[in-house]
Amino acid sequence: MIEWIRFWITAVILFCGILAFILEVAGLFRLGFVMNRMHASGIGDSFGLGCVVFAMIISSGLNLDSLKLFLLILFMWLTSPVSTHFLSRIEVNTNPFIARYVRFGTDYGKK
Amino acid sequence: MTVDLAYQYLFTGALTVMAVLIGIILIRSIIGPRIIDRILCINMIGTLVICTIAILSQMLDESYLTDIAIIYAMLSFLTVLILASVYIRRLNLTDEDEGMKAGEQPPGVQAFGAQDVSLGQTKETQASVPAAGSLQQDKNSRETVPQREVPHD
Amino acid sequence: MKKRFLAWLYGDQDVMDGILDNFNKPDVSHSELKKITRAAEEEYDHRPEVLEAIGRDRARFRTIYLVIAFISCIMLTLVLLYTVSLLPEYGAENPRAVEVVSRYVEDGLEETGAVNIVSGMILDYRAFDTLGESHVLFTALICVMILLRIDRKNQRSDYEDYYTVRTDTYFDLSTDPVLRLVCAVIVPCILLYGIYILLNGQNSPGGGFSGGAVLGAGMILFSVAFGFDKADRFFTLKVSNIVTFVSLGFYSFAKGYVFFMGANGLENHIPKGTPGAIFSGGMILPLDIAVGCVVGCTMFGFYSLFRRGSIGGQI
Repeated sequence: MIEWIRFWITAVILFCGILAFILEVAGLFRLGFVMNRMHASGIGDSFGLGCVVFAMIISSGLNLDSLKLFLLILFMWLTSPVSTHFLSRIEVNTNPFIARYVRFGTDYGKK
Repeated sequence: MTVDLAYQYLFTGALTVMAVLIGIILIRSIIGPRIIDRILCINMIGTLVICTIAILSQMLDESYLTDIAIIYAMLSFLTVLILASVYIRRLNLTDEDEGMKAGEQPPGVQAFGAQDVSLGQTKETQASVPAAGSLQQDKNSRETVPQREVPHD
Repeated sequence: MKKRFLAWLYGDQDVMDGILDNFNKPDVSHSELKKITRAAEEEYDHRPEVLEAIGRDRARFRTIYLVIAFISCIMLTLVLLYTVSLLPEYGAENPRAVEVVSRYVEDGLEETGAVNIVSGMILDYRAFDTLGESHVLFTALICVMILLRIDRKNQRSDYEDYYTVRTDTYFDLSTDPVLRLVCAVIVPCILLYGIYILLNGQNSPGGGFSGGAVLGAGMILFSVAFGFDKADRFFTLKVSNIVTFVSLGFYSFAKGYVFFMGANGLENHIPKGTPGAIFSGGMILPLDIAVGCVVGCTMFGFYSLFRRGSIGGQI
């Protein structure tokens, strides 16, 4: 019985993760500007990967393997924002018409 | 239906969906109009592959696959970082050269790595976007570099 | 469409169309530039005194070269044909392969003391092969150094110097505070993980090559995040040379000694220990460490040479 409960918890969390990845890919094709696409990829990088790997932790129970998977989640949550930050830096530095899309400076947030 | 069989079906379904998603992202990386889209797609494919390896390590009961997942995460981070360093370097340099030689304000592409530019300062970047043609005016601007002393032996 | 494709093929148009064609377009197209340089080279090579000197050297050298090349080709062909004639016939059962594989799988743990059969194979039964691989890496590093290193005789022009100074100091990623903070957390973990892979090579998958690669990647991450100046404090050309030389020398000496004294490398003179512990497997652990040092130095040396033309700070 307890095994079946564990299985269903795993299945629900894994489904959430897969749903996040599907949303990510949908956003990759629907959104028009690269920075918006980066936002879509960030959903999959943080929420999707967290859900999938957490489901694996629940299905494996407490052992050395689940500790390594937990370290994997920590690592990805540390590094994937940095990669997205650098991708946006490439975009700002290479696009000559960036000012059409993004507003710089202190007047950010005003209308 | 036993629990093991149910786990098999669940993991197989998840892996199939992920494989299809990787294929779709690959199409986007081929379409992607600029280099940034391709790097973004590579990053996303890396994330999906990490998830695939994590699922496989539970499906096959091979604990060493998680080690490989951690190494893969590290390598995908390093890839984005070094590609970013290459592209930021190169394009920044050309921009500043062209802008300074023409005796005008540098174009709307601001150098984030340079010391004097930050997001906090007010810059009229909206007004200073030149047309694409004006960037092509001074092609020979690189010949006038300041003379530096080179030690000879 | 076709015209555009041809332009891309001949290099008139950059691959990154739309980004770089505003900036980096050369004055002369690539094919024209090729023609001009070829004409200049031909004109230089066809001066009478040069032709005379070349002819004098070539006539003497050419006969010797032809004879030696012919003899070595024929000898290589004969050796290869003889080796092929020793192989079993096509379709026949090959008893040797079955024997070797079954020996590795069945007696590997007992004879080498390594739980990981692959590690026991490449560092005990076939340690001589791995020695060659490490030397190949070392030779590759030397070749890249010959091609790319900047020393006194190979000074750059003014423009190139200016270019590197500007690019490497102004637009480095090490000015980014986000990256510095994250890498201060991550880099020690990565180095520790590489050491774990390196030391645990006889018990789990990993070992010298993968552990060394992870160590090298950690070093590259360090130098990207904090700049080459910080990396130069502990990893100079001298350190690289000493580490590589000591590792390769230790490997050659240890394995050479074993080959001469124990016939097929099974007599270790080091107790094998209990399988599964860190200190087990006899010579496998020190050899793993030696290979890992060579691989790490080679990876970081490649990155450093391609990025700025030298290992360590000094020219």
